[in-house]
Amino acid sequence: MSNAELDKVKRPETIKLPLMLDFYPLEDTKTTGISQFFTNLKDGRLTTTKCNRCGKLLWPPRIICSNCFSNELEWVDLGTEGELYAFTEMRIGAPLGFVEDVPFCIGIVKIGGLLISTRIDNAKHDQLKIGDKLKLKIVELDDRRVFYRFTRIDGK
Amino acid sequence: MRKVAIVGGGATKCGKREASWRDLVQEAGKAMFESVGNLSPKDIDSLIVGAAQPERFVFQAHVAPLVAEYLGITPRKVLARTELMCASGQSAIRYAWACVASGLSDVAVAFGVEKMFMPDMAEAQTNMTCVLDREWDGVNGLSAPPFFAMTAQRHMHEFGTTREQMAQVSVKNHRYSSMNPLAQFQKQFTVEDVLKSLMISPPLQLLDCSGITDGAAGVVMVPVEEAKKYTDTPMYIIGSGQASIGNVVNNLASLTDWVPLKLATEEAFRTANITLKDIDIAELHDCFTISEIMEYEAFGWCEKGKGGKFIEEGQPYIGGKIAVNPRGGLLGCGHPLGATAILQTVDILQQFRREVPKGRLVEGAEVAIAHNLSGPANVHSIMVYSR
Repeated sequence: MSNAELDKVKRPETIKLPLMLDFYPLEDTKTTGISQFFTNLKDGRLTTTKCNRCGKLLWPPRIICSNCFSNELEWVDLGTEGELYAFTEMRIGAPLGFVEDVPFCIGIVKIGGLLISTRIDNAKHDQLKIGDKLKLKIVELDDRRVFYRFTRIDGK
Repeated sequence: MRKVAIVGGGATKCGKREASWRDLVQEAGKAMFESVGNLSPKDIDSLIVGAAQPERFVFQAHVAPLVAEYLGITPRKVLARTELMCASGQSAIRYAWACVASGLSDVAVAFGVEKMFMPDMAEAQTNMTCVLDREWDGVNGLSAPPFFAMTAQRHMHEFGTTREQMAQVSVKNHRYSSMNPLAQFQKQFTVEDVLKSLMISPPLQLLDCSGITDGAAGVVMVPVEEAKKYTDTPMYIIGSGQASIGNVVNNLASLTDWVPLKLATEEAFRTANITLKDIDIAELHDCFTISEIMEYEAFGWCEKGKGGKFIEEGQPYIGGKIAVNPRGGLLGCGHPLGATAILQTVDILQQFRREVPKGRLVEGAEVAIAHNLSGPANVHSIMVYSR
């Protein structure tokens, strides 16, 4: 029998979800150069950057044009209504933080000349079809950050 | 550029292993060394380790020197870890090949390892959500299954591909993996089984998806002139191609037409000086059933939109137009991200050496390709091997 001492040490039962692990982008001016996107979103506007020099529409929004490297970008509205290009539903395999939301619909929406991915909040999978009209919706997190989602426009 | 040969390779059994990340490294290392005569760890001057997310799966960074330590290797030329998600192992192969081809390295090892089973699997799923652009796609819950589900939906919508045709890919690859002792899944399935399996992300069901897998593998590369010092049956790297377009969903060339795969194929064929007809074995990246169908099309074995019909006709079986995934594919063998490409390569080497079971042996195979896609199929990587 060894004379080594046995001691018990405690670990925290839970650890607060660090900001970088909650999926949503950091959005204030101290953390990103595209903070304006989120300010616009708070006003109900889905926007992105367009290059003033070469005219390229850039998604996601950015601070420098990846086509001509100009810094002269302007914010343009993409509109608030789009068309469903593809969709599916998360049934199994959601990441931590989204597990409580399962099942939820995910789609790709055609809007303002772009194809962007989105959560679709008010529909089940079997209620959706390609070509459905979708409407912009804004979600606010408990720390006041915002993000976009879409909902199905009812009335067929 | 020097010509490069692979003189040996070994792998672990893949699956839900009762083994640590480090155990997997040691098992694959031992198998690799046992496959090559006259090779001591001290001869290896370069080591490239393909590992997709060790920081998230096993909370370990700086993994290349860790692998070197466990395998008794003391690199003096090049030591690095490669990450290209699902193609991290293919990336390791490309780097090791470039090191030997350039003359920088004389004996290089391309190694790959991933331990994906975690105590809480929700954490593993979380890791997979930062593969696509996390701030603009991952944030919407877009990990691999939903992304490829929408790819499948569009392919069905545009070309009339059916669920039965997709299921047939799974049936074929599980048939071959049932004859592969290293495979994660050794059970055969019918089309009906696939269509009755758990719905993951419609239209994709459990048996349309490659597994979460633990596994590791390694191969040894030397200049062609040195190959016979180590083996009578080396395998030669005769070409390669890689291409990437965009990253976020909006900037992909197309959801249903894998343009970067066509570009990578052209480059691979040009550098290897081969045509489609020269290929006897195609190890393709069947992370989902729809992926393999789109790969038949992009490589050119069938017309655009006819991939479903191609499998329905049995063309990608051994004895058909092209033997696709006689190893059992990712669907049958599992997909331990960093190790996957190395596992494909080890199996091709064993095919050339006639060391695989008869039921999945491609008789007289001379030329093989190994292909991996990564992320939202925006990156495609191909190696071409000959006997």
